[in-house]
Amino acid sequence: MMNLLPDAASAHAGGIDQIIVIVHWLMAILFVGWGAFFIYVLVRFRQGRNPRADYVGVKSKLSTWLEVAVAVVEAVILIGFAVPIWAERVDQRPPDEEATVVRVVAQQFAWNIWYPGADGVFGDQDIMLVDEETNPIGLVRSGNGADDITTINQMHLPVDKPAIVRISSKDVIHSFNLPQMRIKQDAIPGLQIPVWFVPTVTTAEMRTRKGDEDYNYEIACAQLCGNSHYSMRGFLTIDTPQEYQEWLDLEATYLSGGDEDDFWAE
Amino acid sequence: MGFWRKYVFSIDHKVIGIQYAVTGLLFLSCGFCLMMLMRWQLAYPGQPIPFIGSWLGDTRAPGGIMLPDFYNQLGAMHGTIMVFLGVVPLAVGGFGNFVLPLQIGAVDMAFPKLNMISYWCLFVGGVIMLGSFFLPGGAAQSGWTSYAPLADIAPTGQTAWLFGMIFLITSSLLGSMNFIVTTIQLRAKGLTFFRLPFFVWAQFVTSFLLLLAFPPLEAAGVLQLMDRLAGTSFFLPTGLVVSGEILQVSGGGSPLLWQHLFWFLAHPEVYVLILPAMGIVAEIIANNTRKPLWGYRSMVYSVIVLGFLSFVVWAHHMFITGMGTVMSSFFQTTTMIMSIPSVILLSCLFISLYGASIRFNTPMLFALAFLPMFGIGGLTGLPLGLSAPDIALHDTYYVIGHFHYIVAPGTIFALFAGIYYWFPKATGRRMSEFLGKLHFWPSLIFMNGVFMPMFIQGFAGVSRRLADGGVTYSFAGNVTPLNRMMSWSAWGLALAQLPFIINFFMSMRSGVKVGNNPWHATTLEWQAPSPPPHGNFTQDIVVSHGPYEYSVPGQKEDFLPQNQPAEA
Amino acid sequence: MRNSLFPLKKTSHLAATLIVAAALAGPTFAGSITGTVKYDGPVPASMKRPLRMDADPGCAMKHTDPVLPEGLVLGEGQTLGNVFVQIKSGLPDKEYPVPTEPVVLDQNGCKYSPHVIGLMVNQPFKILNSDGLLHNVHSLPKINTGFNRAMPGAVKEAEFKFSKPEFMFKVKCDVHPWMGAYIAVMSHPYFMVTGPDGKFTIDGLAPGTYEIEVWQEKLKTKSATVTIAGDEAQTADFTFTPPQRKK
Repeated sequence: MMNLLPDAASAHAGGIDQIIVIVHWLMAILFVGWGAFFIYVLVRFRQGRNPRADYVGVKSKLSTWLEVAVAVVEAVILIGFAVPIWAERVDQRPPDEEATVVRVVAQQFAWNIWYPGADGVFGDQDIMLVDEETNPIGLVRSGNGADDITTINQMHLPVDKPAIVRISSKDVIHSFNLPQMRIKQDAIPGLQIPVWFVPTVTTAEMRTRKGDEDYNYEIACAQLCGNSHYSMRGFLTIDTPQEYQEWLDLEATYLSGGDEDDFWAE
Repeated sequence: MGFWRKYVFSIDHKVIGIQYAVTGLLFLSCGFCLMMLMRWQLAYPGQPIPFIGSWLGDTRAPGGIMLPDFYNQLGAMHGTIMVFLGVVPLAVGGFGNFVLPLQIGAVDMAFPKLNMISYWCLFVGGVIMLGSFFLPGGAAQSGWTSYAPLADIAPTGQTAWLFGMIFLITSSLLGSMNFIVTTIQLRAKGLTFFRLPFFVWAQFVTSFLLLLAFPPLEAAGVLQLMDRLAGTSFFLPTGLVVSGEILQVSGGGSPLLWQHLFWFLAHPEVYVLILPAMGIVAEIIANNTRKPLWGYRSMVYSVIVLGFLSFVVWAHHMFITGMGTVMSSFFQTTTMIMSIPSVILLSCLFISLYGASIRFNTPMLFALAFLPMFGIGGLTGLPLGLSAPDIALHDTYYVIGHFHYIVAPGTIFALFAGIYYWFPKATGRRMSEFLGKLHFWPSLIFMNGVFMPMFIQGFAGVSRRLADGGVTYSFAGNVTPLNRMMSWSAWGLALAQLPFIINFFMSMRSGVKVGNNPWHATTLEWQAPSPPPHGNFTQDIVVSHGPYEYSVPGQKEDFLPQNQPAEA
Repeated sequence: MRNSLFPLKKTSHLAATLIVAAALAGPTFAGSITGTVKYDGPVPASMKRPLRMDADPGCAMKHTDPVLPEGLVLGEGQTLGNVFVQIKSGLPDKEYPVPTEPVVLDQNGCKYSPHVIGLMVNQPFKILNSDGLLHNVHSLPKINTGFNRAMPGAVKEAEFKFSKPEFMFKVKCDVHPWMGAYIAVMSHPYFMVTGPDGKFTIDGLAPGTYEIEVWQEKLKTKSATVTIAGDEAQTADFTFTPPQRKK
């Protein structure tokens, strides 16, 4: 069943896959148990073989014990796996200084990926500055925002370092889904919600592993967001730290040039 | 009585029940047709729809190629129609109205005129929903969940959807009050609560769910209408920029408020879909095993507990909205607790088969198939009810597979079982067993052909509601070819319904005439003439024992009707 | 004659149709206004940052060089392209024939061409999808009924009409946010869009006094009053300067 799931490429993916497998074992046991009983009784107690039914039927209390057993297993899964995994995802986010921090601003139908630039501080946003052609997130290109890097649908992260992604939306609810990272978080307008994970396999390494030169980690939208929802696809590239820095440097070169900034923006 | 009074604006619960049932069946086929169109687009995205593509018009399918807008309309309306106009009217309005008063030995519902009004509210709601396809911009297209802000800014069809929903909700509210009062007040002499057939219990609990869960959605619907028509911002936060333009609204609202209100209804709604089905299955299993339901009392307690719990699990639909540990732990725990009465109910039905003398007639086949199918649906709810696996599985086809197993080969099979079972009561004639089996076996195979691959797609991470079935994404590449198999299964499933349709109409005219109690059943509806006259019973009904006195030791017959005292 | 009234050079046969129409409609006039629109100021940085064509691999593969925004298209000598020039007032109050030939907006290389469009009320407006990619044309009029049409790769064209005059609204692609075009729905045919050379000619004008207005998406409008006495060519040149930044 593990190989039915997408390739796993983050530190916590194993834990999520494990609980999925455990729950499915429980389901399989129950289903096979029920199924075997079901087939047996259908054959054994068909009218042709058993013309007069037994008024009482099963007398044993076995089923009660089975119920209790199911409840206990569920409690173990809940307390032993589900709650701790969730707590790790929500409560044990590393401090910003130890992580790569990226913001994602979703819109119909694209992912704006936003890096704080060399100063490590995100600039301000002003919706009056939104210009879909040149500044879709309404970034104030002065002060902290002067060196901020924005892309559309292209996210890069360094491998083996915690990444914190702060997710928001400009318009409707989207859902930021990184299948290979086992990350999914709704992008809700009016809120900024962080997720974190540690990518463990670079894109290049995954390409070698899969023998597929075009392999890419993808960003999918998992929440219906309008007519072109199905095509709201982004890309996540996991780089070595050096490649990541080179990419940031390249992006920074696009910022230079031009005489003065958006003086016509109101 | 004139024709209009007797067949159209009738106040007889049986006529209203049949009106509900026929309306429900028509809407089920309508929702099914929408789905078949969608399945074309999923299997062959971007290819012109054969035969009917050119009829759909340029705003829906230019050159026969389905536009994603239209796909989204079909998706939203498929869900809405199936849930609110198909299953609920058939399961609650149809079977509830027709069977419940008979089973409790009543002459009619407590409020016959209210009953008529609730049907006509449903009818108006249905007409609005269908008509909305012809509005500029088409029908509602923000999913049957209508999440704001998307639904707030959607084309006019969404307004029609909201108006339609208000009628449907009103219909359900009136109906549920009627059921509750009828069950409490109009039981025959001697029919205590623990002598009620399980079907009545299921309908009784369902009615409470409808009564308590629908008002929040009605309120939410009105709020969304206000957002759309009156410029309020209940669900719209400040500072939205849509398509590059600042949305001119006051803001300050919360998109999550809609989700809470919606799921506060919609989770109990799932039980509205499933409990009556379980009731039907329990009746048919008791009858065709020729023995009492095993653990009748624990089933009744379970169904009551299920009803209560269904109100405190709604946020398990919202784990991915950014929920903290405490909240998610609470809702995971309630969800897991919920699985216990569900397992008890299913176990009781399974165990009832032990020691039985099973008759494999058509209603029984459908009822038996319900058990493992509902089992799959219920079990696949477990990983979704836990927040950690939900990270991977949320909003994927796994979810679609999960709830369709519950409502399609689950509830709808139960509804078919009920139709085959009570058809002789409504018409005095029995449906053909041969055609019934010709309906059952292909339906069972094709149902699984449609829904089983959804779990595989869900594991692979394919999101629901993608207008191309996921071919955009390369991680979905391995599993998107399954779409063709699923689509062909769906079309096969359509063909498999032909024997049913033929059987239904043919048996109505020329089915084998049967007596009042063709199944040798114990419950009270079989003590009335077939079809029952206005006022139902021709004798006084006094109940002397429980509902499922089959194969009672020492009795000559293997069934003892509820109103017939045991031989000394 | 009126053969330079239309923004698209390839629609000269359309102009020919109009000549016939105009000839049938009544007397023709030979007054004209010509001019050049220029820009005097710096180019802001945002206009020099390449568009993010890499957002969609289907777009990126259609370009080898970086693609720049089209908010300020300059020709040699600071001439200004994509300027919409129209007779704002002074025209006789009458109905003008509406061309049946559609105005075409193409989606090619994940860009709209042309970038600024004028068409007449009820004139067919055809949108092509040369890219074979999903585009989502979303028009944002305030007066007319808008449309929001997702065009999957397999859908090659769509056609719309606007029934009311409306000056300048945007049409944009919701899948590729940078894609935007501007549309003016006109009640008369006296308008034109400049190319990068900044030149325009509005002709076929009867004697009279006209207000001529030029519009650029970022620099807004400028206007001049021109009086035409007979069959003569008048000149009106415009130079835009950057707006003052609001503090």
